[in-house]
Amino acid sequence: MLSPRERGRYMRQLELLDDEGQERLKAAHIFIGGAGGLGSPVAIYLAAAGIGTITIVDRDMVDQTNLNRQILHVDRDIGRDKTASAEEHLRAINPDITVRAINATIRRENAADLVGSANGIVDAMDNFGTRYLLNDIALAHRIPFFHGAVHGFYGQATTIIPDTTACLRCIVPAAPPKETTQVIGATAGVIGSLQATEVIKYLTGRGRLLANRLVLWDGMQAKADEIVVERNPDCPACGDRSPHKRRHT
Amino acid sequence: MTIKVRFFAQFRELFGTDILTDAPPDGMFISLIAGIAHSNPEGYNAIFDKNGAFLEFVILMKNGKRIDNSDAAATTVADDDDIAVFPPVAGG
Ligand SMILES: [Zn+2]
Repeated sequence: MLSPRERGRYMRQLELLDDEGQERLKAAHIFIGGAGGLGSPVAIYLAAAGIGTITIVDRDMVDQTNLNRQILHVDRDIGRDKTASAEEHLRAINPDITVRAINATIRRENAADLVGSANGIVDAMDNFGTRYLLNDIALAHRIPFFHGAVHGFYGQATTIIPDTTACLRCIVPAAPPKETTQVIGATAGVIGSLQATEVIKYLTGRGRLLANRLVLWDGMQAKADEIVVERNPDCPACGDRSPHKRRHT
Repeated sequence: MTIKVRFFAQFRELFGTDILTDAPPDGMFISLIAGIAHSNPEGYNAIFDKNGAFLEFVILMKNGKRIDNSDAAATTVADDDDIAVFPPVAGG
């Protein structure tokens, strides 16, 4: 049941979600990989919307150069663990939710434990190595995976439902070279907001998910395009001969 | 000028957004993109490796269907095709 305080807090979305939808958000556990440019808006909006449990994982300390885009952290947080400032900020936004901020590097050995019983995995990473790892965990445990990435004024996002849609490796079979990217903070805001919207839609069963659709956002042109994607039967992560398929059939 | 080539993300900074063009003489997809890319050496190197093959991470689409990079050299183009070429963005 929603408390009177929760009812007040969520008043302006309760007509959209109904009590049942709000209760679903409250019962949900969402894992956010990364407390940076994407992780910031995703975590802020999901905390504000009333996701009951948020696990957010990052391994870095707040650096001054993060502050143009990583709005979970503020000037006085420079030098602190990102998880410490993320936890403080999210608890301040919404004291009625549980925030688990874990200072760790996401690796193959610990990824499944970190994700735990989460109902959704949000990709807020800055590299495809860890994205592919989270994609594997999502497939193995049949957890929806909300992908987002940004560069400059550009961004992309899609929603991956294991065994139903294309997975991240179907869509991006090979990682682009690593680079220290320029990013306008508001671009991460656009893509992170899309990801948070997808999480809320998924949990409450509303709308049409970004399933098998890759949104390409161009902030310079203020234009969003959509690329239809499909499962690749030869995908090394989810294809018919992948370890994932062999395990489940 | 009947084939539309759309670039996305960083490739837009190198080539612009939409290009309308004719099919190349040999009718091949890779010749079409190479022909456009040759106008911009930096752009060419962002799409092709030193052997003239597509870099493995570049995403290629024809009429809404993914072209596997290993199949690109054997893929043809024709009038009214809608081509998309873009790199995945990776930052977070
Ligand atoms: Zn796949």
